[in-house]
Amino acid sequence: MEMHPVFLFLDPYLIWLYRLSGQTLADFLIGTWALAFMALIIGEITISLAFLMVKKRIDQTTAEAAKYQRLSMEALVEGDKLAYKAANKLANDAFGKSFFMQIALSAAFLWPAFFALAWMSHRFNDIEFPLPYTHHSLGFIGVFILLFVAAYFLFKGIKYRLPHFRRIKQILDGYPDRTGERNSFADLAPERKKPGGT
Amino acid sequence: MRKNSLLIIGLLAVLAVVVTLVLASPSFAGKLEEAIAKTPQGIGKGMIDPSAKPGFMGIPGAPHSFWLFYILWGIWVGWIFSSVGAFGGVMAGVGHITVFGLADYGRTFKSTSPPLNKLLTDSIRVCNQYLVGLSAFISSVTYYRMGRLVLPLGLCLAIGGILGAYLIPVLTAGKINLSMYVGYFGIIVFAVAFVLFYETTPSGQERKKAAKAAAKAFEDIHIRKCAVDEGGAHACGVQVTHWGVSKISFTFYGQEFSFNPLWPLLGGFVISAISAFIGVGGGFLYVPFLTSVAGLPMFIVAGTSALAVLVSMITSIFTFMFIKSVPVDFVMIFTELIGIAIGSVLGPLTSKYIPEVWLKRLFVVLAVYVGIGYLTKGFLGYSVMPGM
Repeated sequence: MEMHPVFLFLDPYLIWLYRLSGQTLADFLIGTWALAFMALIIGEITISLAFLMVKKRIDQTTAEAAKYQRLSMEALVEGDKLAYKAANKLANDAFGKSFFMQIALSAAFLWPAFFALAWMSHRFNDIEFPLPYTHHSLGFIGVFILLFVAAYFLFKGIKYRLPHFRRIKQILDGYPDRTGERNSFADLAPERKKPGGT
Repeated sequence: MRKNSLLIIGLLAVLAVVVTLVLASPSFAGKLEEAIAKTPQGIGKGMIDPSAKPGFMGIPGAPHSFWLFYILWGIWVGWIFSSVGAFGGVMAGVGHITVFGLADYGRTFKSTSPPLNKLLTDSIRVCNQYLVGLSAFISSVTYYRMGRLVLPLGLCLAIGGILGAYLIPVLTAGKINLSMYVGYFGIIVFAVAFVLFYETTPSGQERKKAAKAAAKAFEDIHIRKCAVDEGGAHACGVQVTHWGVSKISFTFYGQEFSFNPLWPLLGGFVISAISAFIGVGGGFLYVPFLTSVAGLPMFIVAGTSALAVLVSMITSIFTFMFIKSVPVDFVMIFTELIGIAIGSVLGPLTSKYIPEVWLKRLFVVLAVYVGIGYLTKGFLGYSVMPGM
């Protein structure tokens, strides 16, 4: 299959990642892992930038959802089923708005992974790793997904050491304070006494 | 609690993969190359001209759009997602079926090469699923962090979800022709149109107003909090009080909730089956199902439904991609995703200038048009709506 000009341009650089050790299997794993890691970082950066651009609107929908969630829970505390049902419905509507906004935003995280897969489909379409004790085999997509997940958990451990992601985390952590709403059951429920605490 | 939840999610994911591997038989659905090889060569309808320019999935002579067109369509889908909601998923499907001409192209192989016709159907729905379902999955994970898990409810949903997400690809991959798929897609479009329409009717608007009034009235009343002691805290949380085959009960803030496990099991099955069959990502249906049908508190539902989305997405994509070997056009998907990302930013910036109710009415008209077009095209063989 003919390569897209963008892939043709990047191909020499990307394939270099697959020629580091001289061992076929090791090279494939190292190259795919590096590609997955790059796709992850680019995705994390683009979703964080997209988030910053629509933060104001997200703040509004989050606050609305949180408000009705709080109301519904408080209605439960009061034993007012009618108010609970009303607030629960409104919380559901607000949740829906927020949910679909986030669906669209998630694309900003995913596109680099599919870019990588698109390039890999030109290069490694025929590669298959037989799965032991089954009739099946793992193709390049399966290997990429597994390494992408591994890269995600690795990056998760270090990303908040980077100033940009630390700033994003501070914003996300500040949501309950800024909206003035509670963010979980634990916020509404009375505090438990910690063993040995005061 | 959080550690336990993660453990349960991990176990369910492993179970989903193992069940899929153990139960599935090796794929004979036919890979792309085999399907192309079985198609008559030539320049006529329903034939493949090997010298033609490669298009969708590299098939010679298949429709191929300029990459900017995919991005523009993605922007439209992303804009709808972030301003109207669920209809974005439908529009993603409309793009693949109609705008990019894949359904019309696939239909030409109905009699000359049924395997290619069915492979194109599977590919379109997997493309939809990648575009919408995967994004819904990421959103759900975000919501999982906000909510809490009600274990029995999550288990019932997830088990139903695994069944639906596994059975539908296995039973239908390589068996659904494009006409049928387009017809069923039309039915889903009508369902979405109906929900959108109801929300814009005086009755729908009145219901929302009444809910707002009831919530406001409650807000004005002095609110009594749970007693601040250890016993009180215990009573305010989620406590499962009864596990049974026909009834599971739990208390939440002193109020008792109960549900028949069959409902979430059935709901999980149906929702994930629709999601896997049409590929529009049914994950968004879990929350309204549990809050409206089962009457459960929203805050519990958000986190719990995320578990079901996670498990059914893993099963469905795993089954389609590994067990049934459905090829997809990654270039098309990644360019559309770039568009959706741009649309997700533009939506919130522009939607405040358009009243929500008018936006919904506009999409009701569009949905009815698309729905009739697909229904007639799918089940009658021709569309009564121009351009479909």
